[in-house]
Amino acid sequence: MTEVMERTLASLPMFMKGELGGPFGVSRGFQTLIKAIGESQSKHEEERIMKKEVSYLQQKLTQPDISNKHMKELLVRLVYCNMLGHDITFGYIHALKLAQQGGLVEKRVGYLAVSLFLHEDHELIMLLINTIQKDLKSTNILHVCMGLTAVCALISTEMIPALLPMVEDKLQHPKEVVRKKAIMALHRFYLKAPNMVQHIHEKFRKVLCDRDPGVMGASLNIFYDLIKEDVEKHRDLTNTFACIMKQVIGGKLTNDFTYHSVPAPWIQVQLLRILGMLGAGHKKNSEQMYAVLDETLDKSEINHNIGYAVLYECVRTVTAIHPNPALLEKAAERIGRFLRSHSNNLRYLGITALTSMLPVLPGVAGEHQLVVIECLDDPDETLQRKTLDLLYRMTGPTNVTVICDRLISHLSTTADTYLQSDLVTKITQLAERYPS
Amino acid sequence: MIKAIVVFNNHGKPRLIKFFQHYNEDMQQQIVRETFHLVSKRDENVCNFLEGGRWASGKNSDSENLIGGSDYKIIYRHYATLYFVFCVDSSESELGILDLIQVFVETLDKAFENVCELDLIFHVDKVHYILQELVMGGMVLETNMTEIVTRIEEQSKLEKSEAGLTAVPERAASAVKAGLAGAPARVVSAAKNLDLPKLPSNIQLPNLPSFR
Repeated sequence: MTEVMERTLASLPMFMKGELGGPFGVSRGFQTLIKAIGESQSKHEEERIMKKEVSYLQQKLTQPDISNKHMKELLVRLVYCNMLGHDITFGYIHALKLAQQGGLVEKRVGYLAVSLFLHEDHELIMLLINTIQKDLKSTNILHVCMGLTAVCALISTEMIPALLPMVEDKLQHPKEVVRKKAIMALHRFYLKAPNMVQHIHEKFRKVLCDRDPGVMGASLNIFYDLIKEDVEKHRDLTNTFACIMKQVIGGKLTNDFTYHSVPAPWIQVQLLRILGMLGAGHKKNSEQMYAVLDETLDKSEINHNIGYAVLYECVRTVTAIHPNPALLEKAAERIGRFLRSHSNNLRYLGITALTSMLPVLPGVAGEHQLVVIECLDDPDETLQRKTLDLLYRMTGPTNVTVICDRLISHLSTTADTYLQSDLVTKITQLAERYPS
Repeated sequence: MIKAIVVFNNHGKPRLIKFFQHYNEDMQQQIVRETFHLVSKRDENVCNFLEGGRWASGKNSDSENLIGGSDYKIIYRHYATLYFVFCVDSSESELGILDLIQVFVETLDKAFENVCELDLIFHVDKVHYILQELVMGGMVLETNMTEIVTRIEEQSKLEKSEAGLTAVPERAASAVKAGLAGAPARVVSAAKNLDLPKLPSNIQLPNLPSFR
């Protein structure tokens, strides 16, 4: 490691000497700025250097006939200044112009700058519509993708009608990356103005059956929100989702989707959440998914973090839906693996899962009592907080005194005001509930 | 939904800021400062998740609710001199996001060939393009590193042909990079196999003495 560091340090002067378009590919002006900031001795001096840079950029931008290439470099420097919190409103219009006029590379920087500087309610955004429309109609896939990304980042409700038909159209594009970005953009439209996309719910269902699993995966985002909003309307899809899940864990997707031996883990997580919503409080829907949930619990790979992510989600789903005693027992056992782990992340999730299981399997916390106490005494604040929450929910007439004592002792040792007020609320509620 | 992605160094200097929900400039800077304040005082072997605190309670005395009230978490990873922080709401899987951060960092490492903090400073636009292939509109778009790298390489090819670069400067650049390529390849592959508790803190992000 140190050998590599020395070599990096040794090559630094060589990089720094590079001219415009040299190995580092940045202008001398930018390099000088960064070097100056690195060598500055105080915050005050750094402020002074940054202010100088901003006024230099402002002055440069007022000059006529700046080449698109030069404008691109100036905009990257503006992005840097903006990131450090300096006011660069003078640069907005130039970013817009570059997105309109530039070749591919400059257009990309222009769009980036616009998406970082502006927002959907900004008055200048309307000027972007024509540019986006042109790019969406382009035969160049990269232009289309840029347009879709910009749409997702900057669309305002007023702009939706102008762009919706074109984006909808992209759902049938031959390239899967375009279809994927189109569905993400439509998701954004849905979140902004659900009534405007009501007529295309059928199209979303078609995307669920897209030949590319990545596109199908992207559509799960929309379905998560659609189902959250109105679960009744989508109950008929329960079997579909259960089938997809079965295919995923059965290894039917290509190796591209495998991550650390787990098949498409992020897709599995989304599917499990959706199934959880569909099965909650509904016996018939739940019955359609018991088999696949059982299989998931059995198949979960736990030699890597991401396997735990799927397992955790599966346990949560089993807890959320209509109770199945065998599944619940299995899930409770799996929680044990989280709690016995040495990783605080896993113990944190174990405690959370345990908390969510309490209403359906009240005895489960008792089984893991020792570990819970250990978590309570752990120096990690986040873990402590979660365990205190679990304790609070575990309180019954037999253990209320013990638990209250614990809560009070934590109250006296913590300095965090939020935790203090939370504990006080909990203690007073318990006192009211169990007056003796 | 992912509300914000922030990368800063051990001194709280921002290296990448991306918000998926609009906040004005001052608010953005304040969020970055407060996030830094929260993660920098964490030990190395505690949870990578943070919830609650001043913002979540909504009982903030000096400003209104920052990132969306009690329905959000901070999920972060610390690599050598950089913190990668994702602010998410409850619809995201904590462990999933942790691995997403790892995918992001591995992609950066692949795209920049042994990434270091300087790369993030000088090529913040390229880092954004990579991020755009990973997360779109606050939702996870792509999780496969190879896919993302392919997308970026398509764009770079076009960039090179548009700029009409000749072979000579490219050879010089690749010769320099080749000199550094030996050790990192092993480190990166070792890093990929590391399990979560032993975070790959030896991913190439050197703390150069002359840069803060």
